[in-house]
Amino acid sequence: MIASLMPAVSPGTFLSVAVAATAGSLWLLLPRGQAGVAERTSRWAGALLGIAALGCFIATGHRLGGLGEEAVFLVVSLVAVVSGAATVVSRSPVYAAIWFAMTLAGVAGVLLVLGAQFLGVATIVVYAGAILVMFLFVLMLAQPAGLAPYDRVSNEPLLSAVAGAVLLGILSLSIGRLSAEPPACCQVPSKAAALADAPSPAEPTAAGDVDLLAEHHVARLGAELFGRHLLSVEVAGVLLLVALVGSIAIVSRGGVSGGDPQAARRAIR
Amino acid sequence: MTPSPLVLDGLVVGAMLFALGLVGILARRNLIVMFLCAELMLQGISVSLVSWSRHHGDWGGQVLVIFVLTVAACEAAVALVFVLQAFARTGRLDAAAWQSLRESNLPRVVDHELPAVDTVPPKFPRLTPAGIEPAADEDAVLEREHV
Repeated sequence: MIASLMPAVSPGTFLSVAVAATAGSLWLLLPRGQAGVAERTSRWAGALLGIAALGCFIATGHRLGGLGEEAVFLVVSLVAVVSGAATVVSRSPVYAAIWFAMTLAGVAGVLLVLGAQFLGVATIVVYAGAILVMFLFVLMLAQPAGLAPYDRVSNEPLLSAVAGAVLLGILSLSIGRLSAEPPACCQVPSKAAALADAPSPAEPTAAGDVDLLAEHHVARLGAELFGRHLLSVEVAGVLLLVALVGSIAIVSRGGVSGGDPQAARRAIR
Repeated sequence: MTPSPLVLDGLVVGAMLFALGLVGILARRNLIVMFLCAELMLQGISVSLVSWSRHHGDWGGQVLVIFVLTVAACEAAVALVFVLQAFARTGRLDAAAWQSLRESNLPRVVDHELPAVDTVPPKFPRLTPAGIEPAADEDAVLEREHV
């Protein structure tokens, strides 16, 4: 409604102003080493600017999907990939776990942009909230003091890097081929094409961009999950139970039960 | 029908995450980091599945990602228990510690020896002392009640 009062301002400019206001307010709110009156002034200014930014975002909210999707996708995928690389190369496993949490945040953003809202939230809740915390617990239980030598020396780093790079090259090559028109023998009729009033195959303009899964997303996903895949849900529940019981059984029997731990270590070496 | 640019971007991101996880699994020796890299590969798979789900306008991919989440939780639980047991036995989280696992009456067969590890502690920079050390006041030291 603010936008309707200012018809001269284009939506892009409006959104840019909102983004700039958010950034400025965050910058003002963050501690930067000042004290006293300067800090208080800075905080008040930051709060006011933040409220203004929120208003701008609310006013432009209905245009965010079309306008900022590409940019948002770029940012979140950069976060995911860069912190994924940091996960792999971190010397300290604790830092690796923290970077993996960052990767999860990026992946959740990617999933949100791709239209899988429930999975984006579930990634944060289940992975970052549960699985990653479990990793950190085990790290605290089993981490020797300081950097262990096996964290500083990799196993065949050159070969591994080459293997990964070659795999990535092959994958991106085949993904690039997807954007070309497939041969007639391999064309699969897609639901998206059929439901989007069937644009002819010769006209590939944004045919797959209609997000058919956006409306009533979670309800329909739940209906699909507990309808067609009900048996799989049961099996997954049994799997969870078995994993729970199994891990408790393994732990409670003890790793070096009845034996001498030092003797076991000597035998390994 | 060709996938939309967004779907292609999602596939590329998934491929990158998968490749990164693969490199980590191959190169790292810390068991926990190896499992983190496996989870990274699973994340790449999830992004790819959701991209295809969007492309086809079908729920199958997203439902499969939910099951991937479930199995990943189970896998992490069981695997971390094994990691703890391995740590209790060897005192290390090193995957290569197990390459000489054998019966006691069999000879030791190792594919290739790992590079020798330098056990030298890390060198920290020495700070030059700033200023002049003040002369200690003997009486003050003696009269002080606690240090």
